[in-house]
Amino acid sequence: MKPPSPPFRHTSQDAGLRLIAALGLLLYTVFIVVPVFMSLRSSFTDENPLKSGSNWIGFANYSEMLHDTQLRDSVVFTLLLALAVTVVANVLGLAFALLLDRTALSYRVLRTLAFLPQVVSGVIVGFVWKTILTQDGLLNTLLKSVHLVHDPVDWLGKPHLAQFSVGVVVAWVLSGFTTVVYLAALQNIPRELYDAGAIDGASTTQQFRMITVRMVAPATTISVTISLITVLKLYDVIQVLTSGGPANATQSTAQYIVKMAFTDDRFGYASSIAMFLLALSAVIALSVTSMLRRREVDL
Amino acid sequence: MTGRRLLSPARLVLAAVVVLAFVSPLYLTVVNAFKKEDDIVSSPAAPPVHPTLGNLSTALGRPDHLLQLGLRNSLVVVVCSVVLLIPLGSAFSFFVSRRRTRLRALVLAVLAAGLMIPPQVVLLPTIHILDFLGLDHSYPGLILSNLGGGYFSFAVFVYVGFMRAVPDEVVEAARLDGAGGLRIWWTIIMPLVRPATATVAIFLSLWIWNDFLNPQFILGPLQGQTITTGLYLSVGQFQMDYGQLFGIMFLAGVIPVAGYLAMQKQFIAGLTSGSAK
Repeated sequence: MKPPSPPFRHTSQDAGLRLIAALGLLLYTVFIVVPVFMSLRSSFTDENPLKSGSNWIGFANYSEMLHDTQLRDSVVFTLLLALAVTVVANVLGLAFALLLDRTALSYRVLRTLAFLPQVVSGVIVGFVWKTILTQDGLLNTLLKSVHLVHDPVDWLGKPHLAQFSVGVVVAWVLSGFTTVVYLAALQNIPRELYDAGAIDGASTTQQFRMITVRMVAPATTISVTISLITVLKLYDVIQVLTSGGPANATQSTAQYIVKMAFTDDRFGYASSIAMFLLALSAVIALSVTSMLRRREVDL
Repeated sequence: MTGRRLLSPARLVLAAVVVLAFVSPLYLTVVNAFKKEDDIVSSPAAPPVHPTLGNLSTALGRPDHLLQLGLRNSLVVVVCSVVLLIPLGSAFSFFVSRRRTRLRALVLAVLAAGLMIPPQVVLLPTIHILDFLGLDHSYPGLILSNLGGGYFSFAVFVYVGFMRAVPDEVVEAARLDGAGGLRIWWTIIMPLVRPATATVAIFLSLWIWNDFLNPQFILGPLQGQTITTGLYLSVGQFQMDYGQLFGIMFLAGVIPVAGYLAMQKQFIAGLTSGSAK
């Protein structure tokens, strides 16, 4: 056992390093830690940028949240979107990774392309898909030209169809990410495991279940957690694609917070919803991570 | 392994078809950026048979200089934020990585929250704090808030992972030679963790470049636009023909994509090392 390295001597030369490190921590405290508590405080007030000062109103914002149907719809939509997108993006990502797990140049080119949806901004993704999906958009033009449909489909104009379309677009963005994560995990699996499996007479399906799924379990934990968190924070893609419409059908909770704060000028109420979203994200992220970590051990 | 028995040409064709279908929205953007309006409407998926640079010159010739100003402003924000985040994050990580395990675990747990907290939760207080500092609706304010946000957490996570792998003996030897903490960090540790710096620089540049929420509200509409808010405001509000729209999207997206293609090795390595921890 090696003793832990001694702390830095208190010399003038170390002061510079301490200063930079402390500055980093200070900025993090000012722009993450303090804002969370400011938001918490504000959630018990009727703060409004148009009025000076604010009144302490106790739990009034929170009890209003219980009866806010727009909030309820946004939470249901966000949770369903998170669940559906996470499942689709992870299944698709693992499938892509299995397909692309080859070292030849052609496969490396395809891998490079598969990550592209992650590189362009959510705003560009939103506009490009909007151009494709609107009623007189490119998808309907294509479908009509091959006589698959007679009347154009309003992909973004009908509530349920729009929810589905948003799901497709978000899953598309995340699949680029999950593919790369799973590819990295696959490349770390020793070939010998499959050889040993084959010698023991395991079928391809058995090898997949007993070797591949187990060996990529840590990657699954990362990929599922990041997918869920990404959807819970999601703002830019939906804002551009549908602005939360039609009739608020595709409004995420994150978007609703922004709307309450900046369109309705209800800072206090927006803060109470923000606190709720924070708690929801924390519960989901922590429980899913611990569940998947246990699964890594059990598998 | 699944598909091992699949003949390799058949597998390659399948992989190519699947991936090309997957990236078809981006393909549409690229080909249609170089097509005339009539060709886009009549056959959107076709390659540009009569290629034109008209869309690109229309996009660049807009009287509001959307692309030129947006790209310039985004570049300023990205460069200032990343150039400051690297020393802040790495100095802090060096400090933490040489401490006891329990303190390190505590600090990293607090920083992990920064990656998880939805930005909408801290947005309003951040604007209040910047207002208090007299920096609201300004580029210095936006850059300052970038330094303290989840970006700092990400930088620290990457750096700590690499710095823990640096043997204590390296630091001890330097100290015996009389070097102080600042010298050891900058001249000995930083060159050793260059891959970490590459990862941090690449990913933070991409995320800050693509950020939309913070520029939209922290910078506000009157201070000129970054490339994302500029696109949102100009393209979202006015009806525009497909040609110009695709021309704008192509030019707005080509810089991050070119950066990714040029540095894809470090990109993938960064993502891989990040997910291994």
